[in-house]
Amino acid sequence: MASVARQVFLAVIALALGAYGCAPSPYRRPLPPNNGNIPAPRLPPAPPPAPLPPPEAARKPLPQEGRIREQDLKSKSPVPNIPGRESKDSFRPSSPAESSAAPESAPAPLPDDSSLLAKITPGISPQRAASLRLTDEGSKLLDAGEAAKALTRLEKTIVIDSTNPYGYFYLAKAQYRLGRYRESLNFLDIAESRLRSEPFWMAEVQALRGDNYRALGQVQRAEASYAQSLRFNSGNRTAADGLSRLQADPQSVNK
Amino acid sequence: MITRPRFVAFGFGLRENLSTFEALGLIKSKLRVFSISLVIILVITSSGLVFGAWYLKRLEDTITEKFEGRKWVFPSKIYSDSYLLYIGISVRLEDLAEKLRRLGYFESPAEPKSKGEYRIAKADNLIEIYLHDFEFPTEHFKGIPVRISLQGTIVRRIESMATGKEMFSLELEPELVTGLYERIWQERKVVKLSEVPPLLVKSVLAVEDERFYSHHGIDPIGILRAMWVNLRSMSFQQGGSTLTQQLVKNFFLTDERTISRKIPEAVMALIAERKYSKEMILENYLNEIYLGQRGSQGIFGVWEAAQFYFSKPLSDLTVGESALLAGLIRAPNRLSPYRSAEAATRRRNVVLAKLLDDRIITPRQYDFAMREKLPQRALVKVTNDAPFYVDYLRRELEENYSNAVLTKEGLRIYSSLDLNIQRIAERALVEGLKKLEAAHPALRRKGDDSLEGAIVVLRPQTGEIKAMVGGRNYPKSQFNRVFQARRQPGSVFKPFVYLAALMYGGQSGVKYTPETIINDSQFTWNYDGRDWQPSNYNNQYFGAVTFRRALENSLNSATSRVAQDVGIRRVRELAKRLGIQSPLPAVPSLALGAAEVTPLEVAVAFSTLANGGVRSRPLAVRNVIDQNAQLLEKRDVRNEQVLSPQMAYMMNELLKGVVDRGTAAMARRWGFTRPAAGKTGTTNDYKDAWFVGYTPDLLAVVWVGFDGQSKLNLSGAEAALPIWTEFMKNATANMPVTDFIAPAPLPGEDVPGNCAPGQDDGVGSAPCPPAVQTRAPAEAL
Repeated sequence: MASVARQVFLAVIALALGAYGCAPSPYRRPLPPNNGNIPAPRLPPAPPPAPLPPPEAARKPLPQEGRIREQDLKSKSPVPNIPGRESKDSFRPSSPAESSAAPESAPAPLPDDSSLLAKITPGISPQRAASLRLTDEGSKLLDAGEAAKALTRLEKTIVIDSTNPYGYFYLAKAQYRLGRYRESLNFLDIAESRLRSEPFWMAEVQALRGDNYRALGQVQRAEASYAQSLRFNSGNRTAADGLSRLQADPQSVNK
Repeated sequence: MITRPRFVAFGFGLRENLSTFEALGLIKSKLRVFSISLVIILVITSSGLVFGAWYLKRLEDTITEKFEGRKWVFPSKIYSDSYLLYIGISVRLEDLAEKLRRLGYFESPAEPKSKGEYRIAKADNLIEIYLHDFEFPTEHFKGIPVRISLQGTIVRRIESMATGKEMFSLELEPELVTGLYERIWQERKVVKLSEVPPLLVKSVLAVEDERFYSHHGIDPIGILRAMWVNLRSMSFQQGGSTLTQQLVKNFFLTDERTISRKIPEAVMALIAERKYSKEMILENYLNEIYLGQRGSQGIFGVWEAAQFYFSKPLSDLTVGESALLAGLIRAPNRLSPYRSAEAATRRRNVVLAKLLDDRIITPRQYDFAMREKLPQRALVKVTNDAPFYVDYLRRELEENYSNAVLTKEGLRIYSSLDLNIQRIAERALVEGLKKLEAAHPALRRKGDDSLEGAIVVLRPQTGEIKAMVGGRNYPKSQFNRVFQARRQPGSVFKPFVYLAALMYGGQSGVKYTPETIINDSQFTWNYDGRDWQPSNYNNQYFGAVTFRRALENSLNSATSRVAQDVGIRRVRELAKRLGIQSPLPAVPSLALGAAEVTPLEVAVAFSTLANGGVRSRPLAVRNVIDQNAQLLEKRDVRNEQVLSPQMAYMMNELLKGVVDRGTAAMARRWGFTRPAAGKTGTTNDYKDAWFVGYTPDLLAVVWVGFDGQSKLNLSGAEAALPIWTEFMKNATANMPVTDFIAPAPLPGEDVPGNCAPGQDDGVGSAPCPPAVQTRAPAEAL
């Protein structure tokens, strides 16, 4: 009897434990107020500006823009690496991984936000509307392989509306297509500073940055940029393709 | 003995009573004379023949070299920027019409049916334009008719009149600014004979050389006819020159109607006909012939003439238009329809009658052509309205192209120049300097050291140089003070000190903000073993002032203290990073603008602030294409983020205070109300007066002074600011009002708000300084 009672008691305990394990948790984590959209990534504080070297140290002259010559651009080969250009600039972070950080966990792919015409909403200023339309034209020209025409069109977008961030992104893209990787990176810096609150576009910026670094043969930076892009948007095809290409053949650049 | 009389006759004369011996001697001497004469004649003849042969050979070589070598030189042409119209842009109908007129469009009372026409319907507030074809550097545009509807001054709709399709933007082609040429500007486009309509060819031959295909270079019948006509009238009414003779004259000879010129002309014509086909001669003629004048630009060749008079390609010419072109050859300027439509019509009718007589056209064609009305158009001359800008362009181009290429190869150079802004800038500078001289007679000087100024205008987003005026009178002095004159900027340099302080903080550990308190009092800065004592204007010191106020009121002592704390080398490196390229010595007086810079450098540096910390390279040349429309060079916008947008925004907010409350506050009183930032500058001893000011979309730097370094005795606020204000009021009249947009703050940071009078700026606890003063505060050195 005692053994039966003990068995019954143990069975009840087991059942109770099993029920506890299978039961749904009494409270669901509430959805974020923005209905499940990925919250904007929390950005780390900007790194402190790099201190200037002491007066008595011999210093290299500041890089001259004129060292990038027109002939270099026309040749479409990677522009010579200008010494000091990457690291001396106290504003630009030295590595893309140190710039805007994305959430550590890989979020679900973001919905496609690439339509520029969809951003022309009632109440938008005519300058922004015209700038977005021209940007859209420019992006279509890029898709059609007419990078030079696209560049001319896209330059007008920032004349009409210098606050249009997408214009800078597509200018970066046009420069990339023309083989001007340094100029592309410059435009990406500007685009990034204006697109911080848009993770879809931040992913695009990082992916294109990765493409530029890959073309310049800077494999590690390319990888870091692609990874960053995927953290913003795991569905970014450019970053995924770029990363897999690098992982397959790290020496394959400009492909 | 009887003596025989002796007389001798020369040559074949009689000899009488001469002995045989004497007769033989006579014969011998006569033979000698004859031989000598013969030899002389032979020598002369053979010399003549040799010389003649040599001369003919020389003429032939000259003709060959011309016909088979380079026949013409083609000046390069400089164009302004294109003009983009889009839905929502503000534009006045009158301004648009004026723009079209300058582009060579002409107004039509009815709906435009041909390229180059436009119609204004004021009642409906719309304009219809049949656009020209135009070759842009990267694409070719075919002209279509468009309609632009406005609501007030805002473009509401743009549509193609051909298809009804709505367009959201429209680009008007650039304006021709000037040509680059050596002695004369010959504007021509060379065409093949097959591209010239047969009717035009026949018209030209009918009036100029109807026996062209039967003669061999000269036309004796034509010469005789002309002589007869001229004798009857006792004046020179007709010439008997053939087309070939005219071509030879144009290629090689002068225009004088003398025998000494006519003979070589005739000989060369014969040689040319012997060597080359009729078709080649005719083709060269149709491309060579002078057919009009547009200011400094000469119109040569039938293709160019068709464009000049009718804005049409050759293939679209009507019978009447072909007849007019043929008729113009005799006297292009006197018979030009731009000068006298009646004279042109009469001449056209004469040619039409000849064509009818020769059965080149039918009576029906004749009647129709006689009824064609010549378009009433005003001649728009090509005058170089931007000589300083063109000089700057030329200097840039000469890095890659020789003078020979620029003046002979027919390049087309597209620039960033905005001719409208250029005209406004020039007017503001010239009128502004005159007003200064009127208000301050001591500034009036004669000779080479008159009061001078310069203004340069940039678009911050792209670095495009929109206007450049390097002096008040280009014909008098071509010295371009925008990029050739290095002058001390004075207080214009101070923002670099304050920016460095915000970015790096002080070596004392102070983290500067706009509300940091600074001591504006006398002090001594010991640097490299030497003492330097900055002094304020009028030796007036304000004690404890905020960082913001010290900048707004341009306080020397406070600024110097900040520079000392930050480190003058950091200030220097920052100025270079923003775009100053001149040598900057790292000495304390650098903080107050003691190092010489150019207005262009100042413009580039401040445009970095205006553009949210993005430095753009200055762009004047945009594209260069050759005669075959091949792109030779394309200069794109090159941007680099050299400052954080947050820092740039903070500086812009501070510099807005200069305009709203500080040393440039008079700009508000003078009617410039848009959000704008800026800095006045006055140098030691009042030799230079500066103002640099900008909106988010346009930046202008003005400098005033004497080339000979005489004293102005005026501050930047008194001398340069009025010119800047006048310029900006007019240049931004049709632009939308924009303000500097605060960038998204980095986490943990606030972006300082706008410090409107009476409001807390939200950064520190101290309120903003009091409202705008009744007069501009004294500009501190």
